[in-house]
Amino acid sequence: MTEQTAPDTLLQRVIVPLASESDAQKTCQSLLPRIEDSHGEVIFLHVIEKGGGAPDKASVEQMETRAEVLFDKAEAAASARGIPAERRLVYGTDVVETILEAAQNESASSVAFTPRAGNRLVRWLSGDTALRLVTESSIPVIVFPESAEEPDS
Amino acid sequence: MIGAGIFVLPGEAAGVAGPAAALSFLAGGIIALFTALSASELGTAMPKAGGSYYYVNHALGPAFGSIAGWSNWMGLAFASAFYAIGFGDYIVSWLPWADMMQLSALGFTLEPGQVGGLAAAALFIGVNYVGAKETGRLQNIIVLTLLGILAVFLSAGMFQADMNKMTPFAPNGMDAILPATALIFVSFLGFAKITTVAEEIKNPGRNLPLAVIGSVVIVTVIYVITMVILTSVAAQPLDELGKVAVVEVGRIALGSFGVVMLTFGGLLATASSANASILASSRINFAMGRDRLVSNWLNEIHDRFATPHRSIALTGVLILAFIAYGDIKVLAKAGAVLHLLVYGLLNIALIVMREAPDVNYDPDFRIPLYPWVPIFGAISSFALIAYMDPVEMGLGLGFVVLGLVWYALYARRKVDRQGVLNEQILKLSEPSAPEVLREEAPEPDPGFRVMVALAAPKSEKQLISIASALAKAKGGTVVAVHIVQVPDQTALQAGAASLERLDRSSQLLMEKAKKDAETFGVDIETHNILSHRRFAEIFDAAREQRADKVVVGWGAGSHGSRGRFENALDDLTGALPCDFIVFKDRGFEPSKILLPTAGGPDTDVGAEIVHAMEAEFDAEVTLLHVVRSEDERADGEAFLSKWASKNAFDAADKRVAVGEDAYGEIRRQAEGQTLVVLGATERGLLERLSEGSGVAELAESLEISVILAEQARPRSLKERLFGT
Repeated sequence: MTEQTAPDTLLQRVIVPLASESDAQKTCQSLLPRIEDSHGEVIFLHVIEKGGGAPDKASVEQMETRAEVLFDKAEAAASARGIPAERRLVYGTDVVETILEAAQNESASSVAFTPRAGNRLVRWLSGDTALRLVTESSIPVIVFPESAEEPDS
Repeated sequence: MIGAGIFVLPGEAAGVAGPAAALSFLAGGIIALFTALSASELGTAMPKAGGSYYYVNHALGPAFGSIAGWSNWMGLAFASAFYAIGFGDYIVSWLPWADMMQLSALGFTLEPGQVGGLAAAALFIGVNYVGAKETGRLQNIIVLTLLGILAVFLSAGMFQADMNKMTPFAPNGMDAILPATALIFVSFLGFAKITTVAEEIKNPGRNLPLAVIGSVVIVTVIYVITMVILTSVAAQPLDELGKVAVVEVGRIALGSFGVVMLTFGGLLATASSANASILASSRINFAMGRDRLVSNWLNEIHDRFATPHRSIALTGVLILAFIAYGDIKVLAKAGAVLHLLVYGLLNIALIVMREAPDVNYDPDFRIPLYPWVPIFGAISSFALIAYMDPVEMGLGLGFVVLGLVWYALYARRKVDRQGVLNEQILKLSEPSAPEVLREEAPEPDPGFRVMVALAAPKSEKQLISIASALAKAKGGTVVAVHIVQVPDQTALQAGAASLERLDRSSQLLMEKAKKDAETFGVDIETHNILSHRRFAEIFDAAREQRADKVVVGWGAGSHGSRGRFENALDDLTGALPCDFIVFKDRGFEPSKILLPTAGGPDTDVGAEIVHAMEAEFDAEVTLLHVVRSEDERADGEAFLSKWASKNAFDAADKRVAVGEDAYGEIRRQAEGQTLVVLGATERGLLERLSEGSGVAELAESLEISVILAEQARPRSLKERLFGT
């Protein structure tokens, strides 16, 4: 490994949770250029929320199909920049706990995400995952602002 | 789940059948039990989202599927409307100013109960739209609270029961019992909701029948006892006690505490039933969309809330409309009629699945007394419809017609599979079609063949490189196989017809594979295999293709989620049809290869691969033999040089390392290498990958790519039994 730029150790092996297609797109846009610069690798993660006894919000099969689409897009974006990427589909009753557990299992150097916009009501209704991720993590969490640049078409 | 019916309908039921209404609940339970048995068997065979609808569509085809789908969906909407009005009535009984809730406009009048119901339904729909989290714990608390409330009420009531009040037992004659059953049957719909979420249940083979049959038996017992207690405690006939007869009896049995407790129980039961019905209806929509009976636009998942918001909103609008219509008895019976239609079809579906030859149907739970259970289930379900009023029968018929018209005008052009029934009929008229369809047939004398199972574009090049090097060394052919997984409900033939649309990426993948193999100058064949089982299919394909070696990728992304490949390996139960080469991809750079050996037969497969790479990529090879202590070093060195000359590795760098932990030693020696080739020194290496063995851990912990090789082996009966 003889790179010109000093690799940023925080971005060596990054867990990138993806919530939805639009989230995946935004996150990849703002995150991947930095990871490319520091020659890191990404592990895309998607959590399927389980009811743990109660019926789930939507069919698991439906959510799995959706996850595959997310992963395909994100991996395509990563491989376009030559970033090694893996995908992990995990299931859990608590999204934040599940993300952090996965990060631990993968011995990730950090968890990185782009917070989703939303007013207070939406945040409250969907559970403020961003805040909980930042406060409950035991490994570094990097919050990337939404990229201002237009995506390359 | 305690159905809300027992909190809402005792008065209405007693109005029809008198004290004999207790028998109406018993009859309802018996009818439900037959269908519950059938649904359990189908559920363990096909634990899929959509439940009853799915089984009917799968077995009887899309025309019946369309009827069942619409009926199931609308049945749930009617039932939700019924529960919501029940909830509204409970609110009204409890609010002093409820009379002010009556609304009149444009000639319509909404009763207070309807207003309460509308508000409640709007809330439940909203909650499901944003996907507010409902945990299993909350669900358990609700059920336990309801059971507790009923237990307290029933035991208190027992002391005040006056059996004289049970006479005259059937004031309207025994003939009134079944019409009352038709009215209260909505109380028994809970078990079917369990099957709509069957895919989410852990260990469905055991838990599904337990939950479904158990819930029917338990609620039937509770309902019958409750009816007897209600009738024998009440001061006057139940139908004269108003809409919340249960609360009035609670007042007699336990005073104002009883009122509060039973009001709370009624609210809880109606709310949780309404909520569950809304969720279940979105599963039906999803299952219908999966079968192309409705547009998938309806099932799209909300970006933020991760809920099928459109489906929930549309069902919600229907529910609100039904509440505004308002006759609680009609709603209860409409919900029941539509479900009974589905139940009747479901029982027929079970018979079709059992009778159809060559259908992959293997339920973990098989009903006793076949075929009498489904026959009686079908007859009793359809027969109960005859006890409904013309309004509900008309509604039922209306949805049958709607389902058929919908199928004829919309769905027929879109669906891509027929039911098992149609397929069986087709098979009778046509010679049998092959299950697995190929682009090209294998040649008569195949020669040396290396099969590559490709899954994702990511590791295509690496896998093709390995396979090509192997094939080139022996002048053989590379057979690239892409196994396209087809959803279970899609017939393989139908899938083949639309292969191009189904998987365009597959073609691209194959084009790339061809190009990559050509750079090595080896022949390549490509095959697309449609299968319901992506992983197990690899082994079948290896046999079909008469492959001498199979190269597969291992790891997340190469064959779907982590773990499935390992599960498929478990299914092997020890037999390997040919040599297997499993590649763990961390970048393919075969310049410095480490080959640990302890001299087993499988290291010889490893040796073969390494030779192929040596020839193709000018790889530098290091042999490694690990001994336990310094004393054994000399022996080790002797062994290694003997092994090297036997396997034609005389030029290779030979190392003997000393260490208690062989895997740890290999990990240390892998430093500075670019690829490790692990042959199994014992049998069952690949199987042990799934158990977190030392080899699996080693492969996981290394930072460079790993090739695991295992030799083909038939499995003896003894091994099969004792697993050595």
